[in-house]
Amino acid sequence: MTSRVRSPLIFGLLTLVAWQVIVMAADIPEYLLPAPSAIFANVDRTLVIQLAVTFVEALIGFLIASALAFGCAIMFVRFNTLEEGLFPIAIAVKTTPIVAVAPLLVIWLGTGWWSKIVAVILICFFPVLVNAVKGLKAADAEYRELFQTLGASRAQEFRKLRIPYCLPYLFSALKISSSLAVVGAIVGEFVGATQGLGYLIMVSSAHLETATLFAAIAAAALAGILMFYVIGWTEERVVFWHSGNME
Amino acid sequence: MNAIALAAQLEATTLFQPDLVTIENLQVRFGDVVAVESLDFTVRRGEFVSLLGPSGCGKSTLLRAIARLVPVANGRVSLRDPKLRIGFMFQKPLLLPWRTTLDNVLLPVEIQLGGSVVDQTDHARARRLLDMVQLGDFVDAYPHQLSGGMQQRAALARALMGDPDVLLLDEPFGALDELTREVLNEELIQIWQSRETRLHTILMVTHSIPEAVTMSDRVIVLTERPARLIEDVEVGCPRPRTPDDPRAVSVMKHIRAMVRGRR
Repeated sequence: MTSRVRSPLIFGLLTLVAWQVIVMAADIPEYLLPAPSAIFANVDRTLVIQLAVTFVEALIGFLIASALAFGCAIMFVRFNTLEEGLFPIAIAVKTTPIVAVAPLLVIWLGTGWWSKIVAVILICFFPVLVNAVKGLKAADAEYRELFQTLGASRAQEFRKLRIPYCLPYLFSALKISSSLAVVGAIVGEFVGATQGLGYLIMVSSAHLETATLFAAIAAAALAGILMFYVIGWTEERVVFWHSGNME
Repeated sequence: MNAIALAAQLEATTLFQPDLVTIENLQVRFGDVVAVESLDFTVRRGEFVSLLGPSGCGKSTLLRAIARLVPVANGRVSLRDPKLRIGFMFQKPLLLPWRTTLDNVLLPVEIQLGGSVVDQTDHARARRLLDMVQLGDFVDAYPHQLSGGMQQRAALARALMGDPDVLLLDEPFGALDELTREVLNEELIQIWQSRETRLHTILMVTHSIPEAVTMSDRVIVLTERPARLIEDVEVGCPRPRTPDDPRAVSVMKHIRAMVRGRR
């Protein structure tokens, strides 16, 4: 195990031990701050199922949003008028808080999967769109001149130059939106759901089951981290030729 | 002597070389700024011609106008045959960082082919060109693994892969250190003189008088912006040349005096 993995693991364990000791020594009631042991006792099949529900909602929404946003970015860069006309509208929609829109989604789409998936799409779409547009325009003018001298068509310029050039920008955005995806799914579940981590958080806080609440929070964090690492892992393989951040 | 050999010999003498590129009364503008003003010159088949002028004088713009990368405001750039293939080499290598050296060199063929797949013949030719520019051992390397000089060699191989009749060079080795630049200049001359590629005609932009004189048959000396013609100088020294060749030195002195006199 490399020290990059080992050190945070050791410090994490130490924190948990200290937490446990303090809670036990000070005799803090469980509804205020449950000890780690009490939280771990709440990790059961139900929690795993709720985590899976939220993760799947987040993942589906994330994939749809990413594909849509990238497609839109290509159209925006290809047809300037589209960008001029639609980009300000996109920004206006983006500034509307998702929490404010979520109840409307439940009215329109019900308490099932789709209201959550659409919430995820709404929250993930814009970071990807903005960065992809930026990335598609990022290739130096000289690169475009090179393609011109080689007699490349617009389609070839996109396929062989602009899209690969955009990938580092795209992955930067995907990493941001992957963590946002979990937020979107949970917000959707807060408003109206019968399952998922958001639902579990609402129910357990209403019943003052703080240990369950903590377990759900930890699971939500885990979902976000998992998404982030999957993207990071893919990025290292796809954009192997690039180092550093592109935002 | 058979007919083919005779034809080859005729081809080698300048007298029989037709004009490949003709520039007539050319004006190029950047918005309100005139970059090139009423310029006339020709480039004959088989010639190595340099465009010499101070930095920012509009000579790169002129080269871009010949390559149809920037529009011509007035006058004409005409090619002897509209099907003539023009290669362009930029000051930066402009290699695609996600492609290996070999795949970068194959880019012009891929673009020409459109959808169809690059075949074994093209692969073999790309490898030969990479051998020619001394990159035979770096076929599978990525650009970030190559030095600046090697990247520019790969860019040269890529330019040759398009099988150009005329190669336009925009200060091709200007970003490199002087030692590397000299070596690459010599290699460029060797490639130009060899019969391995179709390439016989080169038009190069430079701001270095020694470089222009040691490399070219003719030096077209330009003023500061807007670029106008000062003189079209025939170098006329036998090859191979060195920068300290007395005849070359006198041509350099002549050009330097002319450029200074203009200021």
